[in-house]
Amino acid sequence: MFYLSELKHTVRVPPHLLNLPLEDAIKSVLQNVFLDKVLANLGLCVSVYDIKSVEGGFVLPGDGAATYQVGFRIVVFRPFVGEVISAKLKESDANGLRLTLGFFEDIYVPAPFLPTTSRCEADPYNRNQKRWVWEHDGQDYDIDDSCQIKFRVESISYPTVPIERAEDAKPFAPMVVTGNLDDDGLGLVSWWEDFDVIDPEACETED
Amino acid sequence: MKIVKENAGALTNFEVLDLLNSRGASKDTTRVIAPVTRSEYKVYDYLMETAACTQTRERVAKFAEKCKDFKVAKAEILNIINIRPSSIVELMPIIEKPDDRDLDSDGILELVQDLLPPPPKIETPKDAEEDETETNDEEA
Repeated sequence: MFYLSELKHTVRVPPHLLNLPLEDAIKSVLQNVFLDKVLANLGLCVSVYDIKSVEGGFVLPGDGAATYQVGFRIVVFRPFVGEVISAKLKESDANGLRLTLGFFEDIYVPAPFLPTTSRCEADPYNRNQKRWVWEHDGQDYDIDDSCQIKFRVESISYPTVPIERAEDAKPFAPMVVTGNLDDDGLGLVSWWEDFDVIDPEACETED
Repeated sequence: MKIVKENAGALTNFEVLDLLNSRGASKDTTRVIAPVTRSEYKVYDYLMETAACTQTRERVAKFAEKCKDFKVAKAEILNIINIRPSSIVELMPIIEKPDDRDLDSDGILELVQDLLPPPPKIETPKDAEEDETETNDEEA
């Protein structure tokens, strides 16, 4: 889920940070530049881990600030395909679900990846949304935001910034994770809580 | 910007939480003073709800070491530490192609029970409870 990545960047340290130790000053500049942003094919930058090297310190002509070549490590959020992550429900509509981790909200579960024999119905609490219900053994299991939802990462994509934007298009997301709920153990955590109790009997009858 | 090494090592949830804790991140009111940015706090708040918040460095290291005997991939060990499966049905989605492999899943689950502490129970919303007690007091 989280990885360390090693980067090199040219950092301009403005003079108002000169009262800080150099490393702290560079770190605060790096935090402003990278944190909470997605680097294409690398992931969402979460935190500056450490600074490995600082070179230079040139004052370029016509510029009132020192410029350093900084090598540093950064913690990125980049789920791998096949990973199981627990998230919370953010939205659900006819196309599927949208899940959130709190710090990352572009996780989509399209309708074909919902548990098999799911149906979509009107949400009694929110008329702008639809609710998905999983039918299993004649019982209905709602997909709602009552507890955490586990999903498996199906794919990760980094769409390029669109040149033209349609009127009703969704806000641009630089990193989109597609999730899958269609497997035993995935979906709402509460669905599987008492599974162990039922399990032995079910196995015996199957055998 | 230049990417020197895309993957300089994977981190478990616990290690990220530990990093933020070492900077002074916390749940109480001192959190505004600590040098932790708002986006980092969002990650912190997420991680505090996962199994990572009760794990310790020694136990995670010991678990990873012992897991090597079970023929599971590194990514799967990482995922097991992050999710902390307590039953077979939670473990199965983490394992790739569990039917084709000869895995001692009970052994893994036992190891999880032994070494990784259970995640905190999700508390019922406190405000609702407090409201109830308040109304009770008023009635009394």
